[in-house]
Amino acid sequence: MAGAENQSGAKNGGQDTKTFRRRLDTLDGKLAKARGQRPQPVDSEGRGKAMGQALKLSTEMVASVAVGGVIGWTLDWLFDTKPILMLVFLILGGATGILNVMRTAKSMQGEPMPGHHLRTTTEREVTTNDDKD
Amino acid sequence: MIGAAYAAEGADHGGGHGDGGMPDPMHQFEIQRIVPLELFGFDASFTNSALFMVIGAVLLTVFIVFAMRKAEMVPNRTQSVAEISYQFVANMVRDNVGTDGMKYFPFIFTLFMFVLTMNMLGMMPYSFTVTSHIIVTLALALFVFVGVTLIGFWKHGIGFLKFFVPSGVPFVLLPLLVVIEVISYLTRPVSLSVRLFANMMAGHTMLKVFGSFVVALGLIGGWAALAFMVAFTGLEILVAFLQAYVFAILTCIYLNDALHMH
Repeated sequence: MAGAENQSGAKNGGQDTKTFRRRLDTLDGKLAKARGQRPQPVDSEGRGKAMGQALKLSTEMVASVAVGGVIGWTLDWLFDTKPILMLVFLILGGATGILNVMRTAKSMQGEPMPGHHLRTTTEREVTTNDDKD
Repeated sequence: MIGAAYAAEGADHGGGHGDGGMPDPMHQFEIQRIVPLELFGFDASFTNSALFMVIGAVLLTVFIVFAMRKAEMVPNRTQSVAEISYQFVANMVRDNVGTDGMKYFPFIFTLFMFVLTMNMLGMMPYSFTVTSHIIVTLALALFVFVGVTLIGFWKHGIGFLKFFVPSGVPFVLLPLLVVIEVISYLTRPVSLSVRLFANMMAGHTMLKVFGSFVVALGLIGGWAALAFMVAFTGLEILVAFLQAYVFAILTCIYLNDALHMH
């Protein structure tokens, strides 16, 4: 197909047409390659997951302190040790919140961060530019 | 347009006006008894909240049944929406719980669709947002919490208690970490319910406050507030979807913990 078109270009006598076609063909090839390599433009599922994680953490930080406080208050009320257990459990609740954040951060490190493809794309662009030069 | 409707709604309610003639932004959350009823000393009246739950459940059921009444190989628009929502939740369950979690798919699908419908129904002018009441979200979250805990004990027996004992921890720190794990577990229903309720209530209050700004600033300055409201309504629709999604995905994660214990 491409050969036939090149022939017709040669018949018309235009050397420029021939080179132009060749350039177009190589560009097509490059485009196809780049398209094949490129991941999905918007990683919406990953983004939704990340947003869910963020929402989860932000409320969990607050809720765990509150839950710790309520547990401490109830234990105080049961054992009649007015402020001590509540203070202890408030701190424990805060520790729980921090622990949850750290756990989530650890599990997130294993999987690729949302938006990771942005960096690799620019890197690839830089390398192809270097090749051309 | 929605913004204007909200503004009109805020201005319309006779009982919602404060001292300065401004509509009360919290008036929209008031529970009104439609059919007063008392059962065994409890107030079990049919309220506007219950009415909107019924409307939502009926709408959802009618929609799904109508969409799938004659399932075709090449789906039409309504069938596509029903299939997309099915697939969305099915993928969520499969990715987060695994194939053995598909037993619980009907529950999670119902939960997701119910919360989504309630949130979206709340976005309609003149409607009532059921999920802006913590008692509703807490009931949903506690059902999930108790159910998941029961599944955990049913699946692993008394060994489910090992869930609270982290592995690879020095013996001295163990009592402290068990307490922290228990607090972390008990935090689940609280954070699950507070997240949904707080997001819905804050968003709707914001909408109402800016709606009253539109009225208060009048023809000259009201346009800026109106433009903000239009944009904010879009954000609220996103939040309505996202919160339903987060609720369902966290249910999946909790279910996964109960079935597979980390």
